[in-house]
Amino acid sequence: MVVKNRLINPGAGFARTGLAGMVFLVMLLMSSMAMAVKYDVVPPSGTHTGEDVPQPIEFPHDIHVKDNDINCMYCHTYARRSKVAGIPPTSKCMGCHKVIATDKPRIQQLTKYWEDKESPPWKKVHDVPDFVHFTHEKHLKTLAFDREFPVEDVKEICAFCHGDVENMTVANKVKPLNMGFCVNCHIANKDLGAPGDCWKCHK
Amino acid sequence: MSGKMNRRSFLKVMGWSGAGVALTGCDMPTTVTLEEGKEDVVSYLMPEEYVIPGVGVWYASTCTQCAAGCGIHGRVREGRVLKLEGNPDAAMNNGKLCMMGQAGVQGHYNPDRINTPMMRTGGSLTPISWDKALGVLEEKLGTVNGDRFAWFTGTISGHQSVLLTNHLDAMGSTNHYAHEVVNNAVSRAVNQDMLGEANPRLRLDKAKMIVSFGADFMGASQSPVQYAGQYAKFRTNKERGLLIQIESKMSLTGGSADLWLAIKPGTEAMLALGMANLLLNKIKISDAGIPADVRTLINTYDITKVARVTGVAGDRIQRVTQLLSERAPSLVLAGAGVEGQAQGYATTAAIMMLNHILGNVGKTIESAGDFPFPQLMAKQGGTADLVAFAKAAKAKKLDAVIFHGSNPMYSAPKSLGLTEAMANIGFKVAISQFPDETTMAADLVLPVDSYLEDWGTQVPADQAEANAIHVQQPLMEKLNAETKGLGDILLTLLKQRKKDDYGQFEDYYAYLRNAFSAMPTSVKNDAKSNDEFWNTALQTGVIKVDAGTKTLQSTVVSFAAPVEDDNAGLTLLPSPRLGLFDGRHANLPWLQEAPDQISKVVWDSWVEMHPDTAAKMGIGNLDLVEVSSAQGSVKLRVVLLKGMHADAVAIPLGQGHEAYGRYAKGLGVNPLQILDATTDGKTGELAMYSTRVTVKRVGPADSLSIVRMGTGAGDSQVGRKLVVTVPVEQVRRTEGT
Amino acid sequence: MSLDNILNHWSDYRKGSEEGGHHDYEHRWAMAINLDLCIGCNACSTACYAENNLAVVGKEKFEKGQAMHWMRIERYWDQQELEHPEQGASFLPMMCQQCGAATCEPVCPVAATYHTPDGLNAQVYNRCIGSRYCSNNCPFRVRYFNFYSYYESSWPEPMEQQLNPDISVRDKGVMEKCTFCVQRIRTVKDKAFMEDRPVQDGEVVPACAQACPTSAIVFGDTMDEGSVVSKLWKKHQVERGVYQKTKLAKKDADLRGYRIFEELNVDPSVMYLERVREDI
Repeated sequence: MVVKNRLINPGAGFARTGLAGMVFLVMLLMSSMAMAVKYDVVPPSGTHTGEDVPQPIEFPHDIHVKDNDINCMYCHTYARRSKVAGIPPTSKCMGCHKVIATDKPRIQQLTKYWEDKESPPWKKVHDVPDFVHFTHEKHLKTLAFDREFPVEDVKEICAFCHGDVENMTVANKVKPLNMGFCVNCHIANKDLGAPGDCWKCHK
Repeated sequence: MSGKMNRRSFLKVMGWSGAGVALTGCDMPTTVTLEEGKEDVVSYLMPEEYVIPGVGVWYASTCTQCAAGCGIHGRVREGRVLKLEGNPDAAMNNGKLCMMGQAGVQGHYNPDRINTPMMRTGGSLTPISWDKALGVLEEKLGTVNGDRFAWFTGTISGHQSVLLTNHLDAMGSTNHYAHEVVNNAVSRAVNQDMLGEANPRLRLDKAKMIVSFGADFMGASQSPVQYAGQYAKFRTNKERGLLIQIESKMSLTGGSADLWLAIKPGTEAMLALGMANLLLNKIKISDAGIPADVRTLINTYDITKVARVTGVAGDRIQRVTQLLSERAPSLVLAGAGVEGQAQGYATTAAIMMLNHILGNVGKTIESAGDFPFPQLMAKQGGTADLVAFAKAAKAKKLDAVIFHGSNPMYSAPKSLGLTEAMANIGFKVAISQFPDETTMAADLVLPVDSYLEDWGTQVPADQAEANAIHVQQPLMEKLNAETKGLGDILLTLLKQRKKDDYGQFEDYYAYLRNAFSAMPTSVKNDAKSNDEFWNTALQTGVIKVDAGTKTLQSTVVSFAAPVEDDNAGLTLLPSPRLGLFDGRHANLPWLQEAPDQISKVVWDSWVEMHPDTAAKMGIGNLDLVEVSSAQGSVKLRVVLLKGMHADAVAIPLGQGHEAYGRYAKGLGVNPLQILDATTDGKTGELAMYSTRVTVKRVGPADSLSIVRMGTGAGDSQVGRKLVVTVPVEQVRRTEGT
Repeated sequence: MSLDNILNHWSDYRKGSEEGGHHDYEHRWAMAINLDLCIGCNACSTACYAENNLAVVGKEKFEKGQAMHWMRIERYWDQQELEHPEQGASFLPMMCQQCGAATCEPVCPVAATYHTPDGLNAQVYNRCIGSRYCSNNCPFRVRYFNFYSYYESSWPEPMEQQLNPDISVRDKGVMEKCTFCVQRIRTVKDKAFMEDRPVQDGEVVPACAQACPTSAIVFGDTMDEGSVVSKLWKKHQVERGVYQKTKLAKKDADLRGYRIFEELNVDPSVMYLERVREDI
């Protein structure tokens, strides 16, 4: 399907959506109605009211994800190949922001860090204790890639644990991420091979 | 964490958030939380493509924990080196690494590292800036010329060695003192005279039988991992090898012998002559190549005399010698206990003669060929240089000395008078990582990088058949901004004297790049560019070089007749061990906590005695005793071991530091201090194994940090089937060896 | 895992153990240690300290027997009918034997130790309440208790940067022991999972096996018949399962493979090869 091969084009925006775009949108909707995926998954349940964590720069996820349709994995690129999803290196931000929105105060803050050869000192919002082994890559493989879930919709999978990030500015923890949260999802998805063995996750 | 997040704080932060505490107690720092916003997550600025947070990257480098120079791989996570393993591409150690190599990370992350240059003002060392330090260096060295200047190092090789030699030239001096406590200097002298090569290649893996006169080749030797690897082949060959160890104190290698024989210290030459007697006169092997005077000497050592003098049973001597003649090729080795005698050269020569008689030269002792880069080869340390240095300093012949990689203030026997002699040297510089005794006596201290954060090349003296230059690269950025690489310091020193020649190199990295590019094409392995050659060298950690093949000559040199000593006293054996080695690793907690392989003592010193000897003196196990030589005495606890000759007492090396950080200082005693300053007449090497001592009980038994075996029952298996030994005949049938 | 559950399924658990344990094992990790090649050098022990964030306890605590050496080298002087010390020392590398019928597992009041589908004896630090019943029951004495919190004393800055992030740093009150480097097993299994392939023999190398200069330690999966360790176990006719079976199965009593305390029926996953010495 054309949808799969579509290049992620940050900055495309809705303004550029023409007829082709509309057709694409419809097809996107259809695909996300679980037609193309190989198997179903049961998302985890539970919510949490997270504190507001002030970040060095008030990074607006909404502008990047909702308005500009940037895929989660464009920035959090290590998610598919490592334990951690990773905070993007400053060079990734500067890749666009060397030219985009350079007049905005937050971009100027960012540029100052870049010119000082420093990364902004981000604060961790989603954390599991150090005795827990959580691998992003395995979860993405089972919940997205092996299912042939459309990559451009991966934010729906990320939302399982990170919530509705596209409507947040800085990230806010809205899922409990405690052991019960993880284990219950593993139990519900046992037939997908979700492990129940303690030593799979306890280091 | 507010404000600047630079590399150093990045490392600090990642350190805490990388591995925190499993459970938080009331009194614990809370480094592990689920809470939002408590931990920092610092992103990279502009990482290399292969850097993926959460995934380790492995880099190749070279170990410098001893003179062996094994290739290593370091696991690096988020810019920190965590774990060292052997480099499988290094033929020398084949991916294996000993305990000293494993503990290298503890030296690198040691809390007692020196982090700033220091200068002696008003009697104590105070921190100064590098600019000031370099200024002082230039000023002081500018007034010194010729042989009044010296370098004092350990074994050194590679391009660092080249720069050092060049600096000596620039200073107009020829004084490079190279000192190592664990050395094979006497063997090198004997080999040079008898074989034409100082460092022939030993092939334990080709031998059918090894008779080792105290050579601890798997333990504190010139290349423990390499020889342990060869030993494994020796044992698993189709014709399983037989190991006989003859020594006065059981070493680690002795622990694995098929037969361990206790020999009276200082009588090894007579045993060798007795064995030669049997080989030539009884078994009738040809005596070709043996000088007449030696032949006559051999004839005077009949089996009865030898058994009486050495304490080794006559039938054993005969059996061992008979087997040596049958199991060819064999290998006879001389160890530190033999080399370190007042007649060290003669004794080692007598032992090497056995190899000649048995025809081992060319079979288990091979030529090392011609290393194509002689200027990079190791300048190996010994103790003759220590003696010469002390003499020169005492005679006020030295005005400025730079120390690196050696700790003479710790290892020199008091009788050499080094402490007083050092006071005669006007300007002492220490290029050092740790506040060891020599560094604390210096006038100027330059903090150096650890080997895990520095560039360099190492050329092992004991090469495997596949010769190589080992490459050393930083496994991470410097932990502290104020330390400098050894090569960088050497370059700076050279630029102070020869700006024209060295000004073109911004730093040691640039020098090495240039040096590598200048290497001949034969070594570059079809690399299409200098960049490709460099990258491959870094990736594999080794540059393979061809030393060619040569044939060794085999001659027997005349050597002095053994002196028969009727002194009934006890001989002190200051034994180095795999672990603390010669004392250099006393500041690494893993190595302090690792039990001594034979006695199982930790974190302390002890003296080993035979139970019969101790009983005669009314000394019981763990009693406090005073061991006294003519030079001084030490007080420590006794461990009774049957793996001793009755006339020997052994104090393992490593403790007794008066400085050197929190893990080493004030622990145990240093037996090197009470040694006589006797030297071997031929080589000038210190006869470290020839000091006579008396032992007196001064206190009752008390606790000593000794590991209790199994369930605490002591050293016995108590009838349980824990370690079972089976005879080789059984294995020959079931496994075909 | 409630008390009810244990009581109701006890006979299944026992029987299962005798008939080869769980029947849905993914792997059955095992070791073969050649005592003929072990020279007692301590490389394995030090590598284990480095890999597993083991605490250095210092002199006083060591004397009290509170050391944390998961892999220790025991040294014995006596051997059957052979004179000491003429045949050198007998070195024995001893670590958790990952017993198939572990005596430590049933006695934990909170089930912090149990048998994983990989055939390993797991220790979950979080669940452990420090009753120390398990170490009391261990015949090999390979369980180590954190009597103190060693975090500050063992890792003064900057030494904590050496800590391996793939494994916890244990706090006071928690039992620990050799895990066959489960963090390495986990990493390899994750990689194999991501690459849609099975784990190959030789991919998982515990720290001790990797360091050993004589390659005395061999590690692998006995469920993989082509693995080196499987072949060794088979060659020396040592089988998993209980004593009687092994005794009857071994056709040639002269073969060198054996397990320690075989008669206790704990079904260790470590096979030792007898040390060989030539008597001249």
